[in-house]
Amino acid sequence: MNIQEYISSGIVESYVLGLADEAERANFEQMCARHAEVRAAREAFELSLEQHAIASQVAPPAHLRQNILQQLSGESATAVTGSAPVVQMQPIRRSGVPMTIRYVAAASIILLVGSAILNFYYFNKYKEFSQRYDQLLAQQTDLVKNNTVLQTKLTNYEHTIAGLTNPNMAVIKMDGNSVPANGSPAPASLATILWDTQSKDVYLMVNNLPKPESGKQYQLWAIVDNQPVDAGMLDMAHGHAMVKMKNIPRAQLFAITLEQQGGSPTPKGKMYVLGKV
Amino acid sequence: MGITLTYTEQELVSLLRNRDNKAFAYLYDNYAAALYSIILQIVSDAELANDVMQEVFVNIWRRIEQYDAGKGRLFTWMMNIARNASIDTLRSRSYQNSRKNQSIGDNVDTLQVKDVLQPGVDTIGLRKVLEKLKDEQRILIELAYFKGYTHEEIAELEKLPLGTVKTRIRNALIQLRGLLK
Repeated sequence: MNIQEYISSGIVESYVLGLADEAERANFEQMCARHAEVRAAREAFELSLEQHAIASQVAPPAHLRQNILQQLSGESATAVTGSAPVVQMQPIRRSGVPMTIRYVAAASIILLVGSAILNFYYFNKYKEFSQRYDQLLAQQTDLVKNNTVLQTKLTNYEHTIAGLTNPNMAVIKMDGNSVPANGSPAPASLATILWDTQSKDVYLMVNNLPKPESGKQYQLWAIVDNQPVDAGMLDMAHGHAMVKMKNIPRAQLFAITLEQQGGSPTPKGKMYVLGKV
Repeated sequence: MGITLTYTEQELVSLLRNRDNKAFAYLYDNYAAALYSIILQIVSDAELANDVMQEVFVNIWRRIEQYDAGKGRLFTWMMNIARNASIDTLRSRSYQNSRKNQSIGDNVDTLQVKDVLQPGVDTIGLRKVLEKLKDEQRILIELAYFKGYTHEEIAELEKLPLGTVKTRIRNALIQLRGLLK
């Protein structure tokens, strides 16, 4: 179809009179934009229609003019200058949602924001207290450890005092000078045996002994009828407290020698102290 | 009316968009009678035509932003507003009437020329021109233009194939152009 055929197909009149359907309208508007002839044909028909309408006009009742123009100035009074009345009407149209729902929605948003703030606040608090709890737990563990150490020490000292005040205890002083032929490597050494005469338990208190070199350990001997009997190993960690050794029913002498770590069946090392029962 | 044109269409549109009261008075004085004639051709009742007229000017006032000069002249735009408002009024009224008369019975079979064409108002405007068309064309223009039926609705009402309805309306319009010249 060429342009002239298109123009004389009745589409121009159909469009102008508002009888064309959606697709025809869109197509016609495109044709108008592209072809001046189509546009000219449309304008020509519009003009002839307009002239015909004006030629066959019917005067409306005179009072209508006043009514209509007054109504329009009323519209302009309510309208904000320059802005379209359509825009003005929008807030009314939008109120489709009931006010209660709006209040509920607004309250929900406020609650949500409040909840978020509280969450943040309490999370920070939680972190802070969590740290403090860990610190306290560590301190408590330390205290318990210290307490255990102190308890052990205290028990040891209690035993020591109990031993010293026990009337059944025989006290045997062992010193470096008593070692025959000045054989003690440390003549100032001193240790005390407390021997329960009833239970025959032997307790040892170190008063002064040089710190043994590594791999060596002091060993207590009871000399029974000239035969040395193992009476236990010394643990230097106990300090000056009284430490329970082996049960010795009978002995004439007590002596301490420096032996290999863990002790020897018979004394091999040098004797540090000796004491007579 | 004998009033000399004081505005170009472009000037008039921009004044109307500024809600200029004088421009609306000018619009009324120059076009109200032509629009009133179009309204009367559709609603025929003078009292009703006055109401439609009021509605048409309120619509022009409210929708002037939507007017697109690229798609046609201002008068064409106003004319279509007048036609649509008239048809809407007629429909809402005939709907109310048909509700009232429902018990009388439904004789809405094929519409006859005498049922569709209203006597009395066909002496003005386009109706006068349409008299020169054949009846089979007149009735289709009547239904399409003055009653606002779609081509599909007309095909159903008139028991005609859709293609025939389209062709007849197109042919009628082509003749109308010749008659208006």
